[in-house]
Order: sequence, then C-alpha cells, then structure tokens
Amino acid sequence: MVSFSNIAEEARLAALSIADYASDMVDPTVRLGVTGLSRAGKTVFITSLVHNLTKGGRLPLFSAHAGGRIASATLSPQPDDAVPRFEYETHLAALTGGGRPETRHWPDSTRHISELRVALNFESETFLGRNLGRGRLNLDIVDYPGEWLLDLSLLDLDYTQWSAKAVALSRMAARAKLADPFHAVLKTLDADAPEDETQAREAAATFTGYLRAAREERYALSALPPGRFLMPGDLEGSPALTFAPLDIAADARAKRGSLHAMMARRYEAYRNTVVRPFFRDHFARLDRQIVLVDLLQALNAGPSAVSDLETALADILSAFRPGRNSWLSRILARRVDRIVFAATKADHLHHANHDRLEVLLGHIAGRAIKQADFAGAATDVVALASVRATREATVTRGGEALDCIVGVPEKGQKVGRETYDGKTEVALFPGDLPDDPRAVLADPEHALSAPEGISEKEWEAFRFLRFRPPLLDGAPDAILPHIRLDRALEFLLADRLA
Amino acid sequence: MTRKPAAFRLDDPGVMLDGDTAPKKAKTAPKERARVTHDATLDEPLSPDETNTALVPAPPPVKSGFPWGKTLAAALSAFVSISFGLWATQIVEDLFARAEWLGWLASGLLGVAVLALVAFVLKETFGILRLSRITDLRETADRAAAADDMAAAKRIVARVTSLYASDATTAQGRAALAEHDGEIIDGRDRLKLAERHLLNLKDAEARALVTGAAKRVAGVTAISPRAAVDIVYVLFESVRLIRRLATLYGGRPSGLGTVRLARMVIGHLALTGGVAMTDSIVQQLVGHGLAAKLSARLGEGVVNGLMTARIGLAALSVVRPLPYLSGRPPALSDIMSELTKFGSAAKKE
Repeated sequence: MVSFSNIAEEARLAALSIADYASDMVDPTVRLGVTGLSRAGKTVFITSLVHNLTKGGRLPLFSAHAGGRIASATLSPQPDDAVPRFEYETHLAALTGGGRPETRHWPDSTRHISELRVALNFESETFLGRNLGRGRLNLDIVDYPGEWLLDLSLLDLDYTQWSAKAVALSRMAARAKLADPFHAVLKTLDADAPEDETQAREAAATFTGYLRAAREERYALSALPPGRFLMPGDLEGSPALTFAPLDIAADARAKRGSLHAMMARRYEAYRNTVVRPFFRDHFARLDRQIVLVDLLQALNAGPSAVSDLETALADILSAFRPGRNSWLSRILARRVDRIVFAATKADHLHHANHDRLEVLLGHIAGRAIKQADFAGAATDVVALASVRATREATVTRGGEALDCIVGVPEKGQKVGRETYDGKTEVALFPGDLPDDPRAVLADPEHALSAPEGISEKEWEAFRFLRFRPPLLDGAPDAILPHIRLDRALEFLLADRLA
Repeated sequence: MTRKPAAFRLDDPGVMLDGDTAPKKAKTAPKERARVTHDATLDEPLSPDETNTALVPAPPPVKSGFPWGKTLAAALSAFVSISFGLWATQIVEDLFARAEWLGWLASGLLGVAVLALVAFVLKETFGILRLSRITDLRETADRAAAADDMAAAKRIVARVTSLYASDATTAQGRAALAEHDGEIIDGRDRLKLAERHLLNLKDAEARALVTGAAKRVAGVTAISPRAAVDIVYVLFESVRLIRRLATLYGGRPSGLGTVRLARMVIGHLALTGGVAMTDSIVQQLVGHGLAAKLSARLGEGVVNGLMTARIGLAALSVVRPLPYLSGRPPALSDIMSELTKFGSAAKKE
C-alpha cells in the first residue's frame, strides 16, 4: 500500500540523496554500513579496520594498500555534528590493554550510536583518476547497538500485523518457556477494554523480560524486535517504549480509547520517532555494506537459534536497497552495490574449517544473498576475524593429529574439571563443522548434537569457550592481527580506490 | 561432527605440540578434507572440458601398430654406438702400439669427451625436467585456484618460491611473500599474492621482450632486400625470444629443451589459433592495409612483427609458472599498439 507518509518519506530520502551526491562531487565519500546483530562484533570490526588502515597494518590482499598507493589514512572530523564520535581510542585501548596488556578485554557492548570518518589519500591507478580525480576518499562508518537493527523489520508492519507476528513467534516451541510470564499477563489483557497505563507497563515489562531472556547466550535467539526494548538508549521509560503486542487477529480494528488503540498509537510513535529517523539517517544512504554474522554462536546455541538467525537476517536485509547504481539512481536513490556477508570470529575455528563456515553462512543468509544478487549488487561471503585472538597448531594425541587453535581463554571459563585463570594458553580442538550445510538446516537436531562419547554438558563447555584478545608482542605500536579483513576491504573499497 | 572436541594444556606431557602458526601438511584423511566446494580437487584428474586455454594438454596419441620406425631408430643408434665404441677402442689401441704417450693422450681426450657428454645429457635432462616442472606447477596452480584450495596453494607457492630461490631479482618479492606465510589466506588469494610479488616484474620484462622482438622483426622485414632474409630472421628472432622468455621465468632451456619448448609453443599456437584469429585477423588486415598504403614492405613488416608477437605470447603462457589470476594476460592488441607506434615513427623518417 502506498500511503502518503511513504511518499513523503521517499521524497525526503531522495532529497538527502541529492544532497549527498552534491557533497560527493566535492568530497568523495563512501558510507560503509557495518550491519550486524548484537554481539556480532561490529565495534571490534570497526576498531580493527581503522587501526589497520591508519597504522598501516598487514593487508596484503587490499591492493591499494599493498601496492603502496594509499599515501595516508587519518581520522578526520565526522560530517554529522549531532552524532557522538566513535570512541576509537577507548576501544583500541580495551583491546590492547593500553600499555597494560594484562588488562586487555573485548569492548563492552555498544549502547549508543556513534560515527567515525577516515580520510584516505591515495594515488589513482588510472590516468584519468590521477589527473582529474581528487585522490581522496572519506570512509564514513557508523556504530550502533545491534539490537536496534531488528527494528528495520518493523518499517513495513503496522501494529496489528506486528502484534500477530510477535505473539505467534513467542508461542513457538523454542520460545514458549521463556515467554511464560508474558503469556500469563497477555491472558489478562482485553484489547477492547479502556486504556490503562498500569496494564500497559506490566505488559511491556514482561514482554521486555522475555526478549532479554531469549537473547541470553544459552539461547542466542536473534529475531527479537523491537530493539529499543533491549537497548533503550536515551528513551528509557518513555511512552514510546511502553507497549506490547496483544493477542488480536491480524485484521482487528481498534475501538477509540481502548487498550488496543493506545498500544497501536505508541507503536506508531515508536516507528515514526525512533525507527524511521534511525533508518533514514544511517541506513538509507549507504554505499557499501558488510553484514557481520556470529554464526558460531548461533550454531552453538542450537537449531532454533540458527533458524531464528536466518529469519532475522532476511527481515533486516529486506529493509536495505541493494542493486546496481545507474547514473540516475546514484543521484536520486542510492543503492548498496557491494555487500560482504562475513561470518565473524573465524579465529575460533582452525582454518581447515573456514570453507565450511563460509558455505554454511551462504546457506543461512541465502535468501538475502539471492535478493541482493537479483537486484544486481555484487556479493561475497567471507569467514572473517576482525581481531585474531588465536594461533594455530597441531596437537598429536594418541597418534592422531588434531588441528588446534591456541589462545588464552577468559578468566573463569571452564572446560571439564579445569577452570582457566585468564593467563594460561590452551590448545583447543573445536571439533569439525558439519560437511554439508544442508544437513544443518534440514536436520539441525542431529547435525548439531554432541558427538558420541561426550556428555551434552561437556560439549557445551567446549563450544562456549571464549578467548581473550591477543597479546600483542613487544612494540607498543604493534598492529591487531586479523583474518581476511583485507579480503573484505578489497571487495568493498577497491573500485573506489582504483 | 565426527571427531570429539578436546582442550589441552600446553604443558601437558602427553601432548606434542607442533607449535607454529603455519599449519603443517594437512594430515587429515581425505574424507576430512574440507571438500565442501563441489569443485575439482587436486587428487582428481581434470576432465578434458575443464582444461582451459592456459593449459597445454598433450596432443592425443596417434594409434599405430607395431612401432617399426622406433625399432629402426633404436637398432640403428645401438649399431652406431657399438661401431663408434669399436672404432674408438681400435684407435686408442693403435696409438698405444705406436707410442705410449700418444695412447694416453687419446684415452685422456676420450675420457674428457665422455665426461662432457654425460654433463651435456644431464644438463639437457635437468633443463627438460625443469620445464615440465614449470608446466606441472602451472596446471596444479590452475586447479588449486579454481577449487580455492588453501593447502594446495600453500604448497604451490612454496614450490614457486624455491624455483626462484637463486634468482636475486625476486629477493624482495620472496621476502614480502614470506611475511605472509603464517597467515590464513584463501587459496586463490595466496596464489594472486605470489603472482604479484614474484611475477609482476618479470611480466613487465617479458612484455618488453616480446615487443622488442616484434619491433626488430618488423624493422628488418621492412628493409631486407630478399624475402629469404626475413624468413631466416623471423625464425632466429622467434627462437631467441622463446629462449629468453623461458630463461626469464626460471626455465633453463638448452638445445633439446628449446626444441621441446618450441613444440609446446607451436602446439599452443595451434590450439589457440582459432580463438586468436577472431580477435586479431581484423587488426592484422586493417594494420596491413594502412601500412601497405604507405609502403608494401612496411605492411609486411607489421604482419611479420605481429606473427613474432603471437609466438611470444604463446611462449609466455607456456613458460610462466603460474596462470594469470589477477590480471588479464597480455593480448596481441597491446603489442599491436606498440608496433603501430613504430610504424608511425618509421613513417616520419
């Protein structure tokens, strides 16, 4: 349905796009969308990317960098004055320990939106580029809580649709137990009863509780909109966050002054004041996109998490506009013409398993990839580690050679009878990923169950082992190691630096 | 998930750690190897339709009955060797009969001759072995790149590096490549990296060699008084070009090696001729036409130059140890533009 508000929104987007196009003529800019659900590793990715670019890290496959054509890469003032700056220095200090390596840790989860611009001065490879081009490219990157991304799937749903979907989802087997308190409250609510603030609060609170529980690492479910319920930012307690789905039919009509009407009004407010501006300001104008997916966590948490992730990815990515840019679309409606799907934390597996990881991601993000391909965007699938926390080694046990990863597990992590102290290095053989990705999706229960001779509990301990960031040896200006960051960069930026 | 996961303390005495970041040879059973991509892996021979033009497949064997020709040659050469042996022994014996010092001198000379023969044969054999090693490298690399096989690519890069271990011009590239040894890089990407570090300089030089030879041939043809002279010169220049290209990329062609190389080049030309025709015949005709308007000899020169260039390009794809992965191989049109530059320069003179 094409409503007036949609047309207005489109017009606004076109206006922004024209403005961007004009500013690009003077100051060429690539807006890199780092897309990922919470804990996918967006902050670490951005930090490592900026660190490797500005400090001249090891990026052999990023041709402009390897060929010495990038003269300088520096942080420069961001274009939007209203958005906080990405605290690059703080995050980097967290990862390296900032002079005290024993305090190194992964950055805390992101609570607010922030932005950063990297200015690249480069020499063009082509005659025209050298003589007519600017030789400069700004790379704009936005970091935000991954939870908020889930909201993009709400853009196309009105309250009754969303409500029906959310309630149905909460009654699915994997979630029903977590949603018990919410269901209890839901039963007491009457959509046609007059509006009541206390009831609305209670419903919103239990609904939020259910979403929080589902997000726990143990379940690692992904499709949990609305995102601000999980990470409210500065909206904590405002009416726009005090709503919940009701048990109503998808075509139900709201009576004036009823609970239903109040919820619907708040939902609309949420969409209009929170989701739309967020999308408009940060996603509608992207040029390139990298979708970070923590596939291992989903695999670890089990089949329901995997299928949930698949749904969430497809939902989110349908909000974007992939496709090839024509001269007109470049001005009026910018499209994302290159997308990398990256399975992050690849350093938790031996490289012999990386191919399988990539194939698996290709299947799970299959719908989104097909959509993008069909629209004419170029896509790539990569197993990536923004910061490589482990090294590889072969351990021989009883004549059998095992491809292991060696790293320092975080303090308090347990495997079997051992509890690690956060200092000792451990060689871990993480097991093999399933050979055939289709087996995981078709028969997840079987493909992801513990192998014979190992208890379910022990199995879990292995899978959830977390490593600390790498100890950078020696020099204070040592650069964060990574896996395939350069390949992703090459795919995303090479043509703009040619 | 067949194998159990396990965690080891590094100081556990029961654990042997092969502790470097660079993984050793894949010790996993073939079943375990990441064969998720449904591409050809190294241990499966390629089916004929998968070979692309960068490869030089052996011509199909001609069916024949009993090899009478070979028997004849073998019998004859055996006969000749025996008679040579007899003749040599007789001479030495005769010389000993005349004067002892003459006999010693003759046996000494014979000994040196035999030594030289052995050395020559060895050198030829090594040259040919090296050539087939390069061919094998390229074919394996082609397959590894198609399958994006990490372990195979690593082995190939090590082989290419050792091929150039004694070539000082690649020192910088080898050092740069060695830096990335321990890193996790996909098969195809690693090969591209090796291509960039080891072969980029050589590629530029090779192009200069081909262009130079083509120009010389064009020049000589344009001023030569007799057609026979051009033919001889084209032959000479082509053989020299092939040998220089092979030396540049690490082959060590000598007599037999060059013959073999020339056969491979001609085989390649014959194979790709059909393809090359379509993109170059027009240019050749047009080029000839324009140049011929100015001077008939000049037109012939351009055509001869282009022919040499084609031989050079064919030789390139035979002697290069890696297939062209990151860029496109040099095409006739690239050389053509250089040649016509020469044409216009010649016109001015």
